Amino acid sequence: MALIAIIDDDPDILDASSLVLKSKGYDVVTASNPTDGFKIIEERKPNLIILDVMMDEPDDGFFLAQKLRRENIHTPILMYTSVSKAIGMDFNKSEMVPVDDFVEKPISPEQLVAKVETLLNKVGEKI
Amino acid sequence: MSDQVKKASILIVDDEKGLRIGTQRLLEDEGYEVETADCGEVGIRLGTSKDFDVAVIDLKMPDIDGLEVLKEIKTTFPNTICFIATAYASYDTAIQSTRLGAYSYIPKPFTPEEFIYQIEQGLKQRQLILEALRLKQEREEKLLELASEKSRLNTIIKAISDGVIVINRNEELVYFNYAALRFLNIRDVKIGEKVVEKLPKEISEIIDKIISKEKILLKTYTTQIEILPNNELIIEAACTPVPNPDGSLAGVVIILSNVTQFKKIELIKSQFVSMVAHELKTPLAAVQGFINIILDDSLGVDKEKEKEYLTRSTVRLRSLTDLVNDLLDISRMELKTKHREIENVNIIETIKSTLQFLEFELKKKEIVVDTNIQENLPIIKADVSEITRLFTNLISNAIKYNKESGSIYIIAHQENSYVSIKIRDTGIGMKPEEKDRLFNEFYRAKNEKTRGISGTGLGLSIVKKIVESYYGKIEVESVFGYGTTFTIHLPINQN
Repeated sequence: MALIAIIDDDPDILDASSLVLKSKGYDVVTASNPTDGFKIIEERKPNLIILDVMMDEPDDGFFLAQKLRRENIHTPILMYTSVSKAIGMDFNKSEMVPVDDFVEKPISPEQLVAKVETLLNKVGEKI
Repeated sequence: MSDQVKKASILIVDDEKGLRIGTQRLLEDEGYEVETADCGEVGIRLGTSKDFDVAVIDLKMPDIDGLEVLKEIKTTFPNTICFIATAYASYDTAIQSTRLGAYSYIPKPFTPEEFIYQIEQGLKQRQLILEALRLKQEREEKLLELASEKSRLNTIIKAISDGVIVINRNEELVYFNYAALRFLNIRDVKIGEKVVEKLPKEISEIIDKIISKEKILLKTYTTQIEILPNNELIIEAACTPVPNPDGSLAGVVIILSNVTQFKKIELIKSQFVSMVAHELKTPLAAVQGFINIILDDSLGVDKEKEKEYLTRSTVRLRSLTDLVNDLLDISRMELKTKHREIENVNIIETIKSTLQFLEFELKKKEIVVDTNIQENLPIIKADVSEITRLFTNLISNAIKYNKESGSIYIIAHQENSYVSIKIRDTGIGMKPEEKDRLFNEFYRAKNEKTRGISGTGLGLSIVKKIVESYYGKIEVESVFGYGTTFTIHLPINQN
């Protein structure tokens, strides 16, 4: 079964997301900041990354995504956002924001599972 | 003539007594005021002492020549109508006397009718001259008034802080003030110059639109332009067509106003709203996440886990309530609608009760509090709830950001007309860049050491607002890894 890395500074969100994905049979690793997040990605090589946009800084989720792509890590990224649109970071999939999909918090378990399945299937097709 | 308010005045200069008396009587009978001179010298004296309407001067007099008298009178009063009376009329003297300003000749001898006729002609001429003079003077006064009106208008336009530019329909500059140049960041323009190329694209496009329209619409077109980058200078340009009296287009007036400050405030406001939204949404998302899990039967959460999630949700909701309360406090403080109860506040008592209130937190982290408070510390006048809030926020920060078994030192003493209170902790301290942002709303130093410390991010901005509302000062010193000291100065003589 696929391994999913969740990187978010809110421990409640980490726990809730982990529980949902584990119950669907996925393996989950978590980190609560970008530095640890990068480490677990390098070490565990997950099939999918769920990444919160605002952690220590309002945009360090973006920076981690950019860093991963620079390091030639092309694992699909699902980005968690909350009010980034209002802050003016109105984004689309692009060079600047090299992620595969966005999801706005709060997210229902079905929605999360559906997004995860879609992204994993896409990668499967490519391979 | 008799119905005239002021009688016309006539001077007769003649050495011939009979003629003098004869003409005087004749003219006085006609209602004129007459003075006479029996020689050239007297003639000059009288004629240059008063602006006669008419003077009749004999050409040949024993002492001074009539032409000389004419010249003198004309020099002093150029508008006195002068007749030269002589029996020796000749072409030469006619030319000469006309050159000197004589109105006409009266050949001697003359009949009373002829004489009166000539005088009346002269008076008519005099009236024409005076009327022309009056009109000329009036016109000059009007011109002067107009000129000063124009310069007054100029002064007014130059004095207003908005920029004004007027161009004609050929896009040539007609008028500008210096504020306009400053706002557009252009140095050098000349009246009559094709100025449109020097204007920002946004303005010149509007001007083109106005000028190219067949019918002019008396409508103002506005646009906002960033003149200097990074929101250093943003202006609003309002372009309005100026019509001729016949309704055709005369030109365009452009009013430029500096809206940089409004834009900055707008930006700060929207950033604040975003931050508030984010801070409110984060705990909501967590709580919603837990509820979703509990409600989803397919996830099979057991009773114990369910209880844990509900407890954690309660913690998040409590922090949300704290946040809303802090926001309301800040908003009340900013609007100054908070009703203050100013009374004597004993700072020692306030600190003591705050420490009691925080006893549980202090014991949990095994933190020791050491106080050094000057005896007879002056009483200050303030709202006790605000001063309590101030110490609660500062001391609870000193606990939260302290290490286990750390210390808090509270030192209070009088310093001139202030009470100074130092609150020092032995905690994690701050990096210089964190210190600078400390009092910003929602700023919370985020690093490996602060993880797990909860807060609204509003505590210190509330502290700062309270201190400043009492005209006090707050200072902060910090060494990363060793601790932070906040010093508060509150004025003693409060009304």
